[in-house]
Amino acid sequence: MPTIRAASASLRLRSLDARYGLLGALLIAPTVLVFCTVIVYPLVSAIYLGLFSIYTPTMEGEWVGLDNYRRLLASGEFWRSLANNLIWTAGTLTLQIVFGILVALMLHRNLVFRALARSLVLFPYFLSTVVAVLVWRWLFNDLYGVLNHLLLWAGIVDLPVDWLGSMPNAMISLIFVGAWKYFPFVVIAVLARLQAIPDELYEAASIDGAGAWARFTDVTLPQLRDVLIVVVLLRTIWDFKEFDLIYLLTGGGPIIGTQTLPLMVYKEAFALNQMGGASATAVLMMLIMLLFMSLYLSRARD
Amino acid sequence: MSGIRFENVSKRFGGVTAVDDLSLEIGSGEFVSILGPSGCGKTTLLRMLAGLERPTGGTISIGDRVVNELAPAQRNIAMVFQTYALYPHMTVAGNIEYPLRKRRVAKDERVRRVREAAAVLELEALLDRKPRELSGGQQQRVALGRALVRDPAVFLLDEPLSNLDAKLRTHMRAELIRLHRRIGRTMVYVTHDQLEAMTMSQRIAVLRDGRLQQFAPPRDIYARPGNDFVAGFIGTPSMNFLDGRLKGTGSGRTFRSGDLSLPLGMLPLTDEMPEPDRRVRLGIRPEHIHFDRQGEPARVNLVEPTGHETILVFDYRGNELVARMDGDIAIEAGDTVKLAFRAEKMRLFAAADGRRLNDDSTA
Ligand SMILES: Nc1ncnc2c1ncn2[C@@H]1O[C@H](COP(=O)(O)OP(=O)(O)O)[C@@H](O)[C@H]1O
Ligand SMILES: [Mg+2]
Repeated sequence: MPTIRAASASLRLRSLDARYGLLGALLIAPTVLVFCTVIVYPLVSAIYLGLFSIYTPTMEGEWVGLDNYRRLLASGEFWRSLANNLIWTAGTLTLQIVFGILVALMLHRNLVFRALARSLVLFPYFLSTVVAVLVWRWLFNDLYGVLNHLLLWAGIVDLPVDWLGSMPNAMISLIFVGAWKYFPFVVIAVLARLQAIPDELYEAASIDGAGAWARFTDVTLPQLRDVLIVVVLLRTIWDFKEFDLIYLLTGGGPIIGTQTLPLMVYKEAFALNQMGGASATAVLMMLIMLLFMSLYLSRARD
Repeated sequence: MSGIRFENVSKRFGGVTAVDDLSLEIGSGEFVSILGPSGCGKTTLLRMLAGLERPTGGTISIGDRVVNELAPAQRNIAMVFQTYALYPHMTVAGNIEYPLRKRRVAKDERVRRVREAAAVLELEALLDRKPRELSGGQQQRVALGRALVRDPAVFLLDEPLSNLDAKLRTHMRAELIRLHRRIGRTMVYVTHDQLEAMTMSQRIAVLRDGRLQQFAPPRDIYARPGNDFVAGFIGTPSMNFLDGRLKGTGSGRTFRSGDLSLPLGMLPLTDEMPEPDRRVRLGIRPEHIHFDRQGEPARVNLVEPTGHETILVFDYRGNELVARMDGDIAIEAGDTVKLAFRAEKMRLFAAADGRRLNDDSTA
């Protein structure tokens, strides 16, 4: 008898479990649905489209298997774009981090201007990319630009400098504008962390004999480590797939001097009307990012 | 050799005077507590000594050096913070070693001294852990280790036990006393806990509103409080105070409060009464009150048995009076009893400035 009762009890339990399981599935269903439509569907269709040769206006094409990938990996343009992408990302990210930490340290020390400066510093970040780029294009303009005007006036250069139309000037300008636009993100994240570092740590360090630089390297930097790991992760992803700023400032030029992978995807899809090749490029780009990120995260963890 | 001298030291933060014209001399190798209620300027005093805060006025000397202008690292002091302030990314060994590394002590020497300090504080097994993997008591010991390893002339401790639970606090109190005996260095210990100050220190400096009230050994602070603030601050339950007037002279002197009249003939005063009818406060500790058939009637308001003793709260002619009696006393709220004070234990204070009026000789 007891065994039967126990068995029926466990049966009841199991059906209760099952009903809870069903409820759980129901509750996460909307999330799963949204996730599928905005992430899984585009991803799968990009992978799928990459296996065809497609004429963009009609979206018609034929199965070519891995031909798109073979063509890409054999083309100089893909590798050049990838190299540009890495140079741009590494350059602008480094500047963002260095500027960001410096400005955050300055704002952290100066209590009077902190509130005001904190909102001012965010300005480039809030500014729409189109507006920002238009302003910068005027500053960089070789005939009417303020930059050349000042340099000529100060006697630093004899001829106007072509900031956006020649290499490596265009890449340098691009990296600089990117840093200008996105360093506020680093400032805000670092400043928030700086304010959470207890004063006693600095006081203990100064009693222990640490000078200003040692206090920075032994107290500040280790405390910033975690926030910097996240900032670098996010900014790398965002900078790597940056499109509008580059497209608007240089359009990838001169020729393909500043063309990064996102610009190449755009060109393939809408200028060359090769949706298949564009999709394959996008898939490769994603794989490269995945590789970098997994390497980075496994390093950052220890 | 490494005594400490404060001469007319003041510290103002804007309109707040945290430390007010304070002079204090601490002997070399002495364990001194700075005691006072929260906000009285204890931490500020310690931080000025450490060089973390600049005095607004006065001079501070350590040994025979005036240190006003010296950076914290040059003062040959070590400080233990209330929050321990351990470097979170360094191991226990790294934390203890840090001050040596910053002073460019050779590697072998560093290892040896870290091991030594760890042995004294029983931290050997924890050397590879990070601070967050330690209990509060262990973190406390690491903070002490970081101070100890440098062998400084002076140790500064700012409420180092206040973040520990009661039992660990008692334990660490004993540890600190042992440590002081062993290394014989000057220690300045800030606390708001009178029990810590009373049990650990050779002398206690009592502070109130940034001013020094009294600087004396624990027994004197308790038995011969310099003024009514010290008398009331030290001791639990606190000393009882009755406000009244002093009448008569010599052996006919009495204390009058309303229709209460207590003979004070046997209390010699420190100074002659300048004015007749002087207003005074009479202080009596709870343990110096006893039952007496000839005494004054009092009603029992509250009985708090704690086991080994009973705290009684009386209505004594309109004044609240707290007494400490035997644990096994049979008494109930509402009873009326007769009370008397131990005459030689009564303390008289001037009502005007709180100064103690009766002489030390009777204490
Ligand atoms: N950095 C500061 N700025 C302004 N006021 C302060 C500062 N530090 C302490 N004070 C004030 O000085 C007084 C004494 O403070 P503190 O020395 O911390 O007292 P304690 O340690 O005895 O509790 C308090 O009134 C406190 O508000
Ligand atoms: Mg304090």
